[in-house]
Amino acid sequence: MTDSKIKDFFRDVIFGDPMTALGFVGVVLFLLVALFAPIIAPQNPYDLGAISIMDGQLAPGESLMDGTIAIFGTDEQGRDILSTIIYGLRISLFVAITASTIGTAIGIYLGLISAYYGGVVDSIVMRLVDVKMSFPGILLALMLLALMGQGVEKVILALIIGIWASKARVTRSAALGEIRKEYMRAAQLAGLSANQIILRYLLPNSIAPVIVMLPMIISGAIAAEATLSFLGVGVPITEPSLGMLIANGFDYLLTGYWWISILPGVVLVVLVLCINVVADRIREYANPALRHETM
Amino acid sequence: MLSFIVNRVAHSLVVAWIISAIVFFGMYVVADPIDSFLPEDATAADEQAFIEAYNLDKPALVQYGSFLIRLVQGDLGISFNHGEPVLDLILDRLPATLELAVIALAFALLIGIPLGIFSGLNPRTKRSKATMFLTTIGYSVPNFWQGIVLILVFAVTLRLLPAGGRGDTATFLGAEWAFLTLDGWRHMALPVINLAIYKICMHTRLARSGTRETKTQEFMTFAKAKGIADQTLIRSHLLPNILIPIVTITGLEFGALIAFSTVTETVFSWPGLGKLLIDSIKLGDQPVVTAYLVLISFMFVTINLIVDVVYALIDPRIRYSAQG
Amino acid sequence: MTDILLKTSNLTVVYPTKRGAFKALDDISIEIETGKIVGLVGESGAGKSTVGRAVLDLIDAPGYIAEGEIDFQGESLIGKSNDFFTQIRGRKVGYVFQNPMTALDPVMTIGKQVLEAIYANTDLKGEQAYERALDLLTQTRIKDPKDVMEKYPHQMSGGMCQRVVFAIAISANPDLIIADEPTTALDVSVQRSVMDTLIDLCRQYKISVMLVTHDIGVISEYCDFVYVMRHGKHVEQGPTQEVINHPKQDYTRNLMAAVPRLSKRLDRFRVLETVTDAQSKAREVILRYFQESDFPDNDELLLQVDKASCIFNTKSGFFGPPKTTIGLDTVSFTQNRKEILGIVGESGSGKSTMGRAILGLQRLNSGSITYKGTSLTDNNGRAITKDIRLSMQCIFQDPFSSLNPRMTAGENVTFPIRTHKLLPDWLSAKELAENLMLSVGLEASAAYRYPQEFSGGQRQRIAIARAMAFRPEFIFCDEPTSALDVSVQAETLNLMKDLRDQYHLTLLFVSHDLAVVRQMCDRIIVMRNGAICEIANPDQIIENPSHDYTRSLIAAMPKLDLSA
Repeated sequence: MTDSKIKDFFRDVIFGDPMTALGFVGVVLFLLVALFAPIIAPQNPYDLGAISIMDGQLAPGESLMDGTIAIFGTDEQGRDILSTIIYGLRISLFVAITASTIGTAIGIYLGLISAYYGGVVDSIVMRLVDVKMSFPGILLALMLLALMGQGVEKVILALIIGIWASKARVTRSAALGEIRKEYMRAAQLAGLSANQIILRYLLPNSIAPVIVMLPMIISGAIAAEATLSFLGVGVPITEPSLGMLIANGFDYLLTGYWWISILPGVVLVVLVLCINVVADRIREYANPALRHETM
Repeated sequence: MLSFIVNRVAHSLVVAWIISAIVFFGMYVVADPIDSFLPEDATAADEQAFIEAYNLDKPALVQYGSFLIRLVQGDLGISFNHGEPVLDLILDRLPATLELAVIALAFALLIGIPLGIFSGLNPRTKRSKATMFLTTIGYSVPNFWQGIVLILVFAVTLRLLPAGGRGDTATFLGAEWAFLTLDGWRHMALPVINLAIYKICMHTRLARSGTRETKTQEFMTFAKAKGIADQTLIRSHLLPNILIPIVTITGLEFGALIAFSTVTETVFSWPGLGKLLIDSIKLGDQPVVTAYLVLISFMFVTINLIVDVVYALIDPRIRYSAQG
Repeated sequence: MTDILLKTSNLTVVYPTKRGAFKALDDISIEIETGKIVGLVGESGAGKSTVGRAVLDLIDAPGYIAEGEIDFQGESLIGKSNDFFTQIRGRKVGYVFQNPMTALDPVMTIGKQVLEAIYANTDLKGEQAYERALDLLTQTRIKDPKDVMEKYPHQMSGGMCQRVVFAIAISANPDLIIADEPTTALDVSVQRSVMDTLIDLCRQYKISVMLVTHDIGVISEYCDFVYVMRHGKHVEQGPTQEVINHPKQDYTRNLMAAVPRLSKRLDRFRVLETVTDAQSKAREVILRYFQESDFPDNDELLLQVDKASCIFNTKSGFFGPPKTTIGLDTVSFTQNRKEILGIVGESGSGKSTMGRAILGLQRLNSGSITYKGTSLTDNNGRAITKDIRLSMQCIFQDPFSSLNPRMTAGENVTFPIRTHKLLPDWLSAKELAENLMLSVGLEASAAYRYPQEFSGGQRQRIAIARAMAFRPEFIFCDEPTSALDVSVQAETLNLMKDLRDQYHLTLLFVSHDLAVVRQMCDRIIVMRNGAICEIANPDQIIENPSHDYTRSLIAAMPKLDLSA
């Protein structure tokens, strides 16, 4: 993509629609907050010296012992909810982005070699995909985590295992479409090696359908991680993500301390929504059959 | 055709077998049933009896072998926790999950498809864009979080509906069903809404994009050019063409619906399969977890198989490709 | 007293785009007299199809009629409701689309699609409607109409599907048929009979026809009157023979000169071409580049194909057993250096398969291919060196898929050369790319643009440049101009002849178009069902064919009486 195309893309696709623009700004803000969490958060909620049980279960807007106001209230141990959300956001985004990127990359790689080499390679990869796809992702992750135990890296691994297969399938079918085209024959006649053909000819022309899905994969991973953590098999309690915070607060929901669970949930929903609004727009733009209607 | 089915069934057996092995050995390593399931004050004789009842003194491979042999005979073992045959446990919980899933799916189809077609026909109207935005919200909100909000609003704040449980049931075909009683419906309302929202949004989007892509196809213009009125055009050309992919995806997603009922059932304490699974995972009840996952993978592959066959039957391009 | 059936006055159709309004039609006025066959002819982008769509209010959003009048049977069609048009469509005006495979609903039986039109536009019901449908299919010369009623479009050939489309179009005895490139998507061998069916029916029922086509031959043979269009604008009009033989406008004159004729061989097409200084200099550079590889400049035997045979195993669908089809059936021929050898035949004749086999893209089941004394087929082609592999190149049919869209034109041309480190010291990749672009008639700056930014003809030039970059001795040209407009085709064919002369290339030229092959080739092979029917020089093939199939191919070509 040339510079002017990137400029066009931002002007027409991202900022061409107010909702998308809002979503995009939201995503950027969330990323910045996550990146600079230690600077932005009012306290470090996991520094035991910084919190006091005396500040426990304050409603949003009440003052702490030291006089500062807890805008989002505090939890049962006196942690500032805003701070736990900011740190939780960091973990949620880290887990989701890492897992999505690695899972997608693995999927793309397997899809490409499967399409290019065909035969045995194709059979093996596609049987693996079939096995994976014949089982619902959430159950697979649940099962793996039940076996492996909790841990950030384990959640990432479980998500990767949930992500790669469909991306391999999508990349493969895109690549098969490209392989039929005549420029691939030309590359063969040019005596290029398999790696050169895959890297310079097949890859750049086959990844669009998956790359377009990437924002949606990330938002899906955020929601999946939150769900797993809520079910009690996700990240450990020492590194709580947004989902974990919701699960922790769930027990207090019926007793009136709604903010402990609801506020992290609101942030989670807004985050996923922002990503999906942008993702939707990009997907519509990328579908040539629909483009003339939207643009 | 027959070879195709045989092939797929063989494939499903392999998948189920792989799953069973992973879960069985995984749970074998992770969980210590003696520690988890015997009461604190159990005697050595109790322990011995427990070990013998479950063959826990045998090597893992032998245990797995006898598990497989029993599996083939239709015996899924006995729960560590409940002390009952796993099959009975599962059959006992199955109706609760099925009624949730089927009703949610019905809502998804009945609401989602018309809504999607309508908004796909006029994609640039305000109403269509608003519909799209609502569906974006709908599938952006994680399932469990929707459940929490539903409880907070309808059960805690408004006190209109119960927050959990299944309520009264009635017997039908030898199983207990909640959808036959008014109280059952009251209990089912929130879980069904919870499970259905995501599916409604998905079907709306599917029908919408299908409609938008199909309506620009040349055969639609040609049908218009031959003098077919708009309503007939939609009913006899648009609908059959967009329904083919929707039927396929609906079939596949029914499995996912059952999987996601795990989350809904946990939030609403709905006594179905999903809750049984989560409870068993937390307790380390290996026979139940293994049996559940093996059955689920079987069910999944069966659904996939049915979908493939149905797909071939409803799409003439596949049905008659042999002659074409 | 003439009776005007359809009349458009100053019709202007506009598509709003990001870069302002695009006028698909600009001030178009045409008239169709009752009972006449009127042609709209022009190259791609002429807007000729838009006229027909505008008449029936079928213009895709966001396009709209910005100005002008359309009168049909004395009544204005502008600003009428959709219900009004539903009464016109099918009943008074039938429509025939270019590609019957996409025009028919893929999941509805043929019978239902025909009946649907009958129910919508006539009062016939039940048994009567069914009889009428059968009668229509019979009239459009479809065999076993009862069986066909139960079939789905994908189970039938393109020609048969187009006949079904005709049946639908005439089902309510309309006054006008708009036929939009009715045979362009069909195989050459059936084009004529399908076209004849349509025209015979229209004459029989006194239906007027608006015939939209790019094909001058079709216009010449069937039309009473013709309108020539270009870029949405009117160029000229008149009785068909007058426009074809005495065109008044430069554009029409050039267009007519670019049409390849079957009857006469010309050295070059007389189309406007200018060779700039930069281009001739670039050709000198490329000549020096070629001379380094020092090919023999003689006309000795280069290629020998001996009893080449292959079969395809196609998996057929979900429920069916595997099928085998014959790709090549004991094909033998030789080709000398610097010769342009043509292969003609319809699709499935094996003409492209032969070329692919020579290039090593298709394996033979038996037989041998020898190139420059080296066997390409023994031991799975183990004797093929990189030099041999690279000295054989290809120019493909579809210019829209033959270039890597993620590389600039220059990279497309030079990437393999750089990778193999084949560049001489005195020539950089950049210089090679620029000079090749110039020598195929493009600007040097074309090297830095992406394929998507070029037209089909320009892309085909880039593809030629890519083949040239390898300093090939042999180029397989696989229908290189069949996707191009006729004037672009003429320029491209001229270019290929020039390159052959200048760089001593040997071309194997595959085409379905006898007229093109006649203009281009030194010898012609006629193929059918994977086997050779005859090999002869062009004059003999056209004037004195020895094989029945060749005769039928010639008979199927539209007669074009061009005095020019």
